[in-house]
Amino acid sequence: MSARYVVTHRTTYSYDEDVTDSLGIAHLVPRSLPWQEVGSATVTVDPAPGDLAHDTDHYGNTATYFQVTRGHRRLEITASSEVAVTAPSYDEAALGAPWEQARPLVVPRVPGAWRATDFALGSDQVERTAEAHAYAAQSLRPGRAVGEAARDLMHRIHADFEYDQKATTVTSTVPEILAKRAGVCQDFAHLTIACLRSHGLAARYVSGYLSTDPPPGKERVVGADASHAWVAVWAPAPDGASDGEWLALDPTNDQPANDRYVTVAWGRDYGDVTPVKGVIFTEAKRSTLRVSVDVAPVTPSS
Amino acid sequence: MTVLRDYAEAVGQPALGDEPTRYDEVVGPDGSLRPAWKGLAEVAVGLTRRELDRVHGEITRFLADDGVTYARPGEGVGPWRLDPVPLVIDAATWTRLEVGLAQRAELLNAVLADLYGEQQLLSEGIVPPAVVLGHGGFTRVVARASANDPRPLVLAATDLGRDAEGAWRVLADRAQAPSGIGYAMENRRVVSRVMPELYREAGLHRIEPYFWALRSALIQSAQGELADPRVVVLSPGTHSETAYDQSFIASQLGFPLVQGSDLVVRDGWVWAKRPGGLDRVDVILRRVDAAWSDPLELRGESQLGVAGLVEAVRRGRVRVVNGLGAGVLENPGLLPYLPAASEALLGEPLRLSAVPTWWCGEPHALDHVLDRLDSLVLRAIDGPADALADLSAAEKRERLLDEPHRYVGQESLPLSQSPTWSAGGTSPRPLTLRTFTLRYGSAYRPMVGGLATTAGDRPVSKDVWVLKAAPGDADQGLSEVMSMTNVRSSAVLVPRILEDMFWFGRYAERAEDLLRLVLAAHALAEDFRTRPRSTGGASLGVMMAAVQRLAGRWHDDLDEEFRSLVLDAGRSGSVAHAVAGLRDSLQGVRDQLSGDIWRAFGTTDRATAALVESPHSHQLAESAGRMLTGILSLQGVTASMIRDAGWHMIGAGRALERGVQLCHLLRGTTTVRRGIDVDREVLNAVLLSAESAVTHRRRYRGYVRPAGVLDLLLVDRDNPRSLAFSLAELRVHLAALPASTGSTRPERLLDDLVAELEAQEIAALVAIGGVGRPNLETFLDGYLVQLDRLGAAIAELHLASGPAPRPITAMTLVEEPV
Repeated sequence: MSARYVVTHRTTYSYDEDVTDSLGIAHLVPRSLPWQEVGSATVTVDPAPGDLAHDTDHYGNTATYFQVTRGHRRLEITASSEVAVTAPSYDEAALGAPWEQARPLVVPRVPGAWRATDFALGSDQVERTAEAHAYAAQSLRPGRAVGEAARDLMHRIHADFEYDQKATTVTSTVPEILAKRAGVCQDFAHLTIACLRSHGLAARYVSGYLSTDPPPGKERVVGADASHAWVAVWAPAPDGASDGEWLALDPTNDQPANDRYVTVAWGRDYGDVTPVKGVIFTEAKRSTLRVSVDVAPVTPSS
Repeated sequence: MTVLRDYAEAVGQPALGDEPTRYDEVVGPDGSLRPAWKGLAEVAVGLTRRELDRVHGEITRFLADDGVTYARPGEGVGPWRLDPVPLVIDAATWTRLEVGLAQRAELLNAVLADLYGEQQLLSEGIVPPAVVLGHGGFTRVVARASANDPRPLVLAATDLGRDAEGAWRVLADRAQAPSGIGYAMENRRVVSRVMPELYREAGLHRIEPYFWALRSALIQSAQGELADPRVVVLSPGTHSETAYDQSFIASQLGFPLVQGSDLVVRDGWVWAKRPGGLDRVDVILRRVDAAWSDPLELRGESQLGVAGLVEAVRRGRVRVVNGLGAGVLENPGLLPYLPAASEALLGEPLRLSAVPTWWCGEPHALDHVLDRLDSLVLRAIDGPADALADLSAAEKRERLLDEPHRYVGQESLPLSQSPTWSAGGTSPRPLTLRTFTLRYGSAYRPMVGGLATTAGDRPVSKDVWVLKAAPGDADQGLSEVMSMTNVRSSAVLVPRILEDMFWFGRYAERAEDLLRLVLAAHALAEDFRTRPRSTGGASLGVMMAAVQRLAGRWHDDLDEEFRSLVLDAGRSGSVAHAVAGLRDSLQGVRDQLSGDIWRAFGTTDRATAALVESPHSHQLAESAGRMLTGILSLQGVTASMIRDAGWHMIGAGRALERGVQLCHLLRGTTTVRRGIDVDREVLNAVLLSAESAVTHRRRYRGYVRPAGVLDLLLVDRDNPRSLAFSLAELRVHLAALPASTGSTRPERLLDDLVAELEAQEIAALVAIGGVGRPNLETFLDGYLVQLDRLGAAIAELHLASGPAPRPITAMTLVEEPV
């Protein structure tokens, strides 16, 4: 039995002067995965773009390129999709292997290790730091199973760090997060990844949505959701029969990703999968950004 | 004694100290000449020290006349240096090297295609993934199925050095945006001019045909079957280290030199801006590093790139040479794995071996490097080669153990040595050789020649002579290549180029007018400086005040002040400042102008150097006079230009500046009365400064008075130095610009200025009121303001290229909650 959602993600930029030209790259179309079926997915841009095209990026995500060449003071990108999700299941034997055996640079010949290498090295927004290494060492004790060690790290980060929207920005670095002991989901994910990579494990940044319940006795508020981010850590298949497992964990909510998690894209860090990024040509001095996300559960009609 | 005999004798002596034993390029171990030099022996061995001295002097002058520069990191722009003694390679040695270089380029292309496509090298462990994925040059936005490119490498460069036995070994590969071909060509041009006998005697491969092949290869690299593809050279700008190399290539190949702001992406195609429209671009020879090539998908803060370029590349609508991912090859971590890659991808053993290198991501290599840290060179797999040179052994060890996959250990080659000229003779200096390999047709062809550089504190380049096996051999082995006689340079007149042209005109005129003014004032100073109370002394004071109106007053001492007015580039209003501005504006349009333009700078630079060296006052007039000659010669160059918008922009800049300078001159000299004798002396100096003394003498028979001078300089339409003439010129040039309609704002402002000038009565202007001429003062002050406004209006209409790109997040100040 899978959970079904209709997701609407709207990003609106308003400017105080004309923008003559906007170019953008969006990662807004959910991935098709063994545990996630994507029924329909559209990305629309207003004003109508002169150019809009979808492509599959280096990590298998759908990347949408667009260009608006008419003068405009407002740019709106709307992504809608219908998604059916089941909770992913994992090969417990893979998660039960010692974490030392899940380091791609140490076990380069193990199937899948070469692909996982990309997620074991530092990236622009996730530096491998000594502080992250020290913090993670308590969870990554010698010989501990990789699944257990990663879950323990998730529990500790959830306990030690505070969710605070004012603490950080989209460009905050791992040392800043460690110093502030606070952040948002993006920061929790980057920190977790830094901890795992600093010990040689492969960890990727996953961007998507989390379906939330309204407070007890309240109606669901349309558009009150947000885009979300979590991590996945690699564990090789013990028999070498597959490229291994990617265990998805959400340190912000201290739980493994389940059927409430809609996966949109993954990469090394936020920079690889930014929902909307762009370049504008303008003399404008001010702009306003408004983001609205709605993850609406669909009740089966049968 | 001759230079080479001296050299052979010195080399024959046992080496002193710790210097490694090096292979010598000229002299064999038994003291005889190497085969390559035997054929040259008659001419070369006869070269005396004095002749080599002359040759060296001529080389320096030729390079200065051609304006050949190179900016060494951290040093700013300096002259390109070329040694008179070439590196000579015999045909047999070259043939072996050539086969190895062609194979290497083919392999590197196959490696690139694989890394951005199938990734067989990584999945099979032939190349450890971290060597590639941990390298900054691996460009993921083109590592997609949609961007599949079977021939991403068009032009490769390889740096080589010899080991102790004389075998050439690879030091590094350059694939991001290889530089140096232009310098190699320039070296050859200069050496063939200064040593014609030796050059004729040598029977070596000329290198021009290689340029034809490069041109043809770039045209062929356009996607699809285009009849007349448009190729541009994308430069990071005039402050790049190798700006000269870029503009040289562009002008030699006849392809426009553009910057990122000159291009736009629309509908997934790349276009070059021109007044009133866009021209599609099919091939980009890229000299901007990939990371800076597209602010949308690569470094967002880049102003050097073109937003959307990566998407255009992925759609196959523009071809970028080399491909955006090519930087990953500039990676010493790849060196140990290329032999296996060659076996896997080409099915052949690798012919050219590299300097022994260990990638520390492998445990046994790490141990080896740790054991030999004192003798091996430690390098990061990306970043500058010498970035770790200053670290202590303990620091190196720490970094290595922390992230071993980011480093390699490399043996250092002894390198070969070659006689290199310095004052007093030649001495052996170690050298490296940069070679170039081009994909021409379906095969890779190395340039038969290259660019050699001596190692050491003050690197000097050397021409590379590859001798022909038989005199009848085709140059570059390319007998079938089309010559470039038909090259049609498609001028690109983007707003940036028009702006440079405009400022070229303004600075050229400014430099000329300032030099004339300084010369006129200096002549008074020479006669009257010791008699401040004389008529001449008072006139000197007036003229100095006129100069200082433009440049401020920096020194009380007259000699100091004059020198500073000519030499001090940091002083706004000085001659040097105008010349620097002139040079700067020309750098950006170098490919569009005749090389003769740089002779003007050769002349001004030598005059400047002479003045710097000589403290004597008369040297000032001498040098300023020669600088004036140099600046005036620019008029001869522009006279031969095609009459396009660029030429008109130069003319517009010149005419506007002449008006401005003239008004400043008159405002500084003629609005205050100082007695008939002083005024007459001043008016004479004014006429001299405005290059109208001869005309005035003929017309007024030496009778100098304000009305006559003002008539000649303000309203006389036949005097090319007058304000009326300058405005008429400006009108002609403005009318010829593509954006002009007859009623644009600059044209309207100019009409008003002309009408105002025509309404003036000279008699009223010179009318006396109190100590001065209030009408003239009011008129000139008002005119200067309006000329300034006109300059701004011209810039706004003709030179503006619209707002610069910026990240969409750059100014998001408010994030509204729902």
